[in-house]
Amino acid sequence: MNEKKKGGLAGLLTSDRWANVTVSVLAVVLMLLTSSVILLLMGKNPLVAFRSFLQGCGFWPKANYGGGVGMLSDFFDYLNILAPMLLAALAFIVAFKTGLFNIGISGQMLLSGFLATALVGYLKDLSPWLAKPLVLVIGVAAGGLLGALIGWLKYRFNIHEVVSTIMVNYIISYTTGFFINTRYVDMLTRSSRICTPASRLTFTKVEIGGVRCNVPLGILIALAAAFLVKFIFDKTVFGFELKAVGTSRKCARYIGINVRRSIVLSMALSGVFAGLAGVTYYLGYTNTMVPKTLPGMGYDSIAVALLGNSSPLGAIFASMIVTIFQSGANYMSSSVGVAKEIASLITGILLLFAACGEFMKILGQRKIEKEEDKKIAALQAARSREHSGKGGGLS
Amino acid sequence: MTKVFTDGLSFALPLLIMAVGAIYSEKSGVTNLAIEGFQGFGAFFGALAAILLMPHLPKSSQVPIYAAMLFAAVGGAIYACLHALLCINFKANQVISGVVVNILAVALTTFFTSTANTAMLGTASNKFILGVSNRYSIPLLSRIPWIGGLFRKMYPFEWIIIGLVVVFWYLMYRTRYGMRLRACGENPQALDAAGGDVVKTRWIAVIISGALSGIGGICFAYSIMANFSPSIYMGYGYLAIAAMIFGNWDIPATVVVCLIFGIAKAGGQQLCIAMKLSGNYTDLFNMLPYVLTMLLLIFFSKRNHPPQACGQPWDHSRR
Repeated sequence: MNEKKKGGLAGLLTSDRWANVTVSVLAVVLMLLTSSVILLLMGKNPLVAFRSFLQGCGFWPKANYGGGVGMLSDFFDYLNILAPMLLAALAFIVAFKTGLFNIGISGQMLLSGFLATALVGYLKDLSPWLAKPLVLVIGVAAGGLLGALIGWLKYRFNIHEVVSTIMVNYIISYTTGFFINTRYVDMLTRSSRICTPASRLTFTKVEIGGVRCNVPLGILIALAAAFLVKFIFDKTVFGFELKAVGTSRKCARYIGINVRRSIVLSMALSGVFAGLAGVTYYLGYTNTMVPKTLPGMGYDSIAVALLGNSSPLGAIFASMIVTIFQSGANYMSSSVGVAKEIASLITGILLLFAACGEFMKILGQRKIEKEEDKKIAALQAARSREHSGKGGGLS
Repeated sequence: MTKVFTDGLSFALPLLIMAVGAIYSEKSGVTNLAIEGFQGFGAFFGALAAILLMPHLPKSSQVPIYAAMLFAAVGGAIYACLHALLCINFKANQVISGVVVNILAVALTTFFTSTANTAMLGTASNKFILGVSNRYSIPLLSRIPWIGGLFRKMYPFEWIIIGLVVVFWYLMYRTRYGMRLRACGENPQALDAAGGDVVKTRWIAVIISGALSGIGGICFAYSIMANFSPSIYMGYGYLAIAAMIFGNWDIPATVVVCLIFGIAKAGGQQLCIAMKLSGNYTDLFNMLPYVLTMLLLIFFSKRNHPPQACGQPWDHSRR
């Protein structure tokens, strides 16, 4: 029984259709097992801990709720942080499909969030109908231009995008930190002053079913973006060109694709999604900015993209899983009593197993080859036995 | 002026040792973005050793510092095995592996620091307080005008780093192993044909990379930070990678680049103090090394020659 199941798993790992999904599911299972072991070593019940993660994001009812808050409010808070996470993962995917590593998603998020906050967030009497689109436009423009700059540096000066994005991340972090500290700081909280409700992309304290919820606009944008990315890569010439450049730059040039243009456009598109992630994060999820702090989400999104197999629809599921741990960490920490840093540890472990995907496939391949070898060996053994049997009969 | 040299050197040398580590890994054909994670994990390991040792020794003892450096090298080397395993044996994408290793290092060290602090002190602090290493001046050389600052108030670790860099320069350019290592990054098939072991060479290179980065990390912890906390992940590992690329994967050139970085950073801070600007402006001056890197990369990236086989998993049957 066990043997058969293993053979089935190896079969799944080597099939064209299911290999990638199987790797992701395996990564999640292994992550759950490993983190259970860690929790057990700390003397906590892993099942209770995992349940409180789910309770923290509104998937499971908590024991008791405060006045006017319910499971639905937790769920909307979860969606609120899911939106930028998904957008950031899409940003990574677009660049990754073109063979580029956008490590600078954090910086692009920070810059677009800062510009939108500084330019629109503090305008007092702006109609929400004007302010919200304006915020989105600034996010798209800032992220897109910054992404295009990275792409341009790559093709014009041969600067590896990983190095340039990292340098740009620190430059943006220090510059925006300087302006927040000198101009927009709230002396009490030490971060920037909160932006006006009109410009915020989340509707706060909406009454749904008798509980107050913060309804994010961003999640609609993020889902639309996921399907847009899928459409671009599956149905358009532009998407095909990007994929061709990602697979083999030389081959793409040979068949007449403008590789430089593809690199710049891909980084620009990636920057656009990072910019949208930035505004939905800083003017949606939070409404203030901590100076000189790059959002860790920019790096976590790489985990999401990797787990979702760099497919846009996979990213939706992957971001939902990763966000459960990020968003439920506070409640888990207070109810179970484990430091909330364990959320990032769990994300890291998940990432580690997802990165081993190639190896899992190789293992599956080997397993199947071994079984075939065994069959052949058995067949040969049977044949030679037959042969020697005959020989024995003759002598 | 002397302060610019003194501070510049104490920043440049830890950066240099990390860059040398990065060079070892990349010259063997393993792309290494994981320097940031190596140095953080190494520093964590060293700091933990120092914290455990400190209560057993007199207060002004300098022993914990050297013990910390040793353990930082060990910790970095152990942690580097993860990157080696993923890149060499599991054939994972090397850039992704680097990012994964970095994220995991931040998570692991932060989690373990607060857990260890809770267990030892009962407070959930994410810091190990280490203090700052003593400084010594060299009697004669430090009196030389202008460049005397290079020899004044040196941390002892600076001497250790200089020694290590010389040793590892010799290992790479003057020994059999070093030649194999360089061949491994340019054309692993040739090394294989010549009877070398590509997997073993790369493993050793990545482990050396981890050990050297760990030393770099603990030196930052003992000088600039005076403690171990998540703020060790300041991006100096990435800066070391930039120094390596700008130094064209060559140890002597990287020495010069690191010195430029160090002096630019210290110069910026001194300039800020000299111009009597408020504390907020230090942020703008702290940005200086990064801006400088970008500008220099624009001018020098064109004629860069990265190791040919860097980033490709070793496949025995390929040609």
